[in-house]
Amino acid sequence: MDSLLEHLDRFSEVLAVSRTTHVSTWDPATVRRALQWAGYLRHIHRRFGRHARIRKALEQRLQNQWKQEGDSGPTPAPGLANFQALGHCDQLLSLRLLANPALGDASFHFLLQQLFPGPGVPDAEEEALQGSLARFARCRAAAHMLRFHAYRENPVLQKDSVMKTQAELLLRRLQEVGEAEAEGPGRLLSRLWERLPQSNFLKVVAAALLLPAASPRLQEEELGVGSPRTPGDGRQELLRWLLGKSDIAVAFCRNLPAELLTSVAGRHPELSPVYLGLLTNWGRQLHYDLPKGLWIGTEPQDVPWEELFSRFQSLCQAPPPLKDEVLTALKSYKAQDGDFEVPGLSIWTDLLLALGSLV
Amino acid sequence: MAADSAGLPSNYEFWMQKLSVWTQASTLETQRDICLHLPQFQEFLRQMHETLKEMDSNTIIERFPTIYQLLAKSCWSPFILAYDESLKILIWCLCCLIKKDPQNSRESKLNSWTRRLLSHIVSTSRFDIKEVGLFNQVLGYAPTDYYPGLLKNMVLSLVSELRENHLNGFNSQRRMSPERVRSLSRICVPLVTLPDFEPLVEALLTYHGHEPQEVLWPEFFDAVNEAFLLKKISLPTSAILCLWLRHLPSLENTMLHLFEKLISSERNSLRRIGCFMKESLLPEAAACHPAIFRVVDEIFRSALLETDGAPEVLAGIQVFTQCFVEALEKENKQLKFALKTYFPYASPSLVMVLLQHPKDIPRGLWHQSLKCISEMLKEVVEDYGSYGGPFESWFLFVHFGGWADITAEQLLMSEAEAEPPEALLWLLAFSCSPGAGHQQRAQIMVEVKTVLGHLTKLFRSPALSARDLQAAAEENQGGDPRPPACQQLVRRLLLYFLLWAPGGHAIAREVITLSSVAGPQRSQPKGSLDLKYRVQFCRRGAHNELKPQTDALGQ
Repeated sequence: MDSLLEHLDRFSEVLAVSRTTHVSTWDPATVRRALQWAGYLRHIHRRFGRHARIRKALEQRLQNQWKQEGDSGPTPAPGLANFQALGHCDQLLSLRLLANPALGDASFHFLLQQLFPGPGVPDAEEEALQGSLARFARCRAAAHMLRFHAYRENPVLQKDSVMKTQAELLLRRLQEVGEAEAEGPGRLLSRLWERLPQSNFLKVVAAALLLPAASPRLQEEELGVGSPRTPGDGRQELLRWLLGKSDIAVAFCRNLPAELLTSVAGRHPELSPVYLGLLTNWGRQLHYDLPKGLWIGTEPQDVPWEELFSRFQSLCQAPPPLKDEVLTALKSYKAQDGDFEVPGLSIWTDLLLALGSLV
Repeated sequence: MAADSAGLPSNYEFWMQKLSVWTQASTLETQRDICLHLPQFQEFLRQMHETLKEMDSNTIIERFPTIYQLLAKSCWSPFILAYDESLKILIWCLCCLIKKDPQNSRESKLNSWTRRLLSHIVSTSRFDIKEVGLFNQVLGYAPTDYYPGLLKNMVLSLVSELRENHLNGFNSQRRMSPERVRSLSRICVPLVTLPDFEPLVEALLTYHGHEPQEVLWPEFFDAVNEAFLLKKISLPTSAILCLWLRHLPSLENTMLHLFEKLISSERNSLRRIGCFMKESLLPEAAACHPAIFRVVDEIFRSALLETDGAPEVLAGIQVFTQCFVEALEKENKQLKFALKTYFPYASPSLVMVLLQHPKDIPRGLWHQSLKCISEMLKEVVEDYGSYGGPFESWFLFVHFGGWADITAEQLLMSEAEAEPPEALLWLLAFSCSPGAGHQQRAQIMVEVKTVLGHLTKLFRSPALSARDLQAAAEENQGGDPRPPACQQLVRRLLLYFLLWAPGGHAIAREVITLSSVAGPQRSQPKGSLDLKYRVQFCRRGAHNELKPQTDALGQ
């Protein structure tokens, strides 16, 4: 077992180096060794795929490695992400070496002979790698062709295929990291928040929260029996993190479209008080301008009336528990303000008036 | 190899020109042109590789100075890269150009250029979606981790858009425009053999828009059919049915492919033909939709006429009909459409009788059925009734091979001294030579009666010898020579005799040798095996004890 783990560590180092200029020192023999190690790990993947204890140990080791890499400095190149990645670690290594201009000509030539031996190869192993690299390239080309010629962004965000894929990957990663260490998911999410364009990330978070509950696309099917994870874990972690960070929650509720937020709040009741609280605060920031006859804010960052209204409108079109919660809140605020029916005195009255038939 | 390289220079020029046109602009016309030429271009690349791998890189540049341009242009088109094995072959060609140790700066430059190109086409990372790439990098996933999933999601999303289109009709906001559907079918052309694309191909085939004309590219149908025939894609029968109904050339190509198989191998047993037939999905499709049955039947009819009744084609028809009837029974479809839809040139009552499988009728009643068939056919043939001429009737009859065999069997097994029934004699004569006039047929019947007389005597004889049999079949001395059609019929009777007579298989080999020495007929040895399995076919359900005997005969 120990030797296996050590082997894994050594290969991860090799994988990391394969992207750097250090490969200029690699001669053909080194390349061969690296490919052989990759082949060995692939064999391990095949052999121990259903062996829960070994798989878990290997997975743990990989998550630890990743944690260490991840914390340091700028974003490093990903290594082996999980146990499943062992199944194509030779592909990963090959692609990196092929793309690395620092690799010497003689070593590159040798690499090509190993990877692409040509037609009619008797050795099954070599043929497998050649075939899988070609298939991967074709798969990638196919995705690009679809995107250029046939893809239209789906206006319903959570159904858009690119967004959905990112959401699935996020949840899967949260689960993997959560297995290794309890604070893992939170740290990962914070890192993502720091390093990625925020609006895109928030959309992914929303899409992830809206993924169907028992998603068959998760790792379950690939790992087969014996996986201890339940699909809900990733989502729970995500929600907990979101609600725990007030500034992020504010950004979430402020920047995402009304329809999307309504769906998320409907699906995850823990979010609705937070959302409602924010809307209430924003509403309280506005005051009535008598000459213009409008509710306006004083600060530039205040949420304008139109936006506030559209969000409440969307919430009132949601199915019962959420809709009722919102209406009850609005009516109680109206009552607190004096229960006026006349417009211009309480924003809550005016909102209820504007919502009209939905109330 | 030498022959290839002779043709290679002119091919090279041709493809170089083509590529120049293709890379100038990416219009619909160029895309269409590329799609039309994908298989031939791949073949050319294969030949190039065969040539290049024998040379070292300096020689290559001497022979083909523009090789770098050719390869670069080939790598430019995503359609070429996506098609089947073209990417792999291009990689092999580029590998031939890489030098192990470049001697000067020029060679170095060429090397690094080639390396970059190789790396680009293997990873095509320049087209990656930036946000997705960065996202996964921070998450810790490599492209090998997430691309398959991304492709799967994109395919599923497109499939559901296509299905939604179908269900919601005009009301759906997400309705795919015909232009987009067509564009999608265009992209699929190089990618039909990618397993991840199967759901999309199926969805396109079964897609029914609201436009009066066909919205999908014809090249798409061709590509799917080719892939299906070469077994590079697996689709459900319903999808193939749609393919053939929407695009007739695909069905015709499938038939041609079938004929090639039927004619190519020397010894095609009926069992093997049955395998081809079932794999081709033709019987199943024909059972689902009569239009397919009619087209297939027409093609068989033409083939039969063209080849003057070649036994391979006859076997094909019979096996097809057999499988077709089985497919109907399996799906519990009574013929949904009137019999006339399937057999417009025949009387429905005749078809009804013929459709019955002999094994479903008690043996004792075979005679009755045969008599009925004979009478009905005779009526049509000799009175030129409303159901087409003798050829149509004969063509109908040969669909159902089992009945012809049973006619012969009944005749051979009848009592030695009894008169063979006229009806059966007529039927046998008709099946062998439908074109014969009234007079001729009568003559044939007389001849056959004589031979039968001898054969039935020998049938139950305890000690058979090859000589006896030979004598029985011999022509009457001093009479008119037998017409060739009659001779053929007599030979067939001999073979049936060998199969069924208790002592038959013991002397079979000897008889066959003798008869091939006497009058070699190309189809004779083949015909005997043919008959053997035909019998097996029609007896399958009823007489299992006969099987070991017929197998022994084949040894």
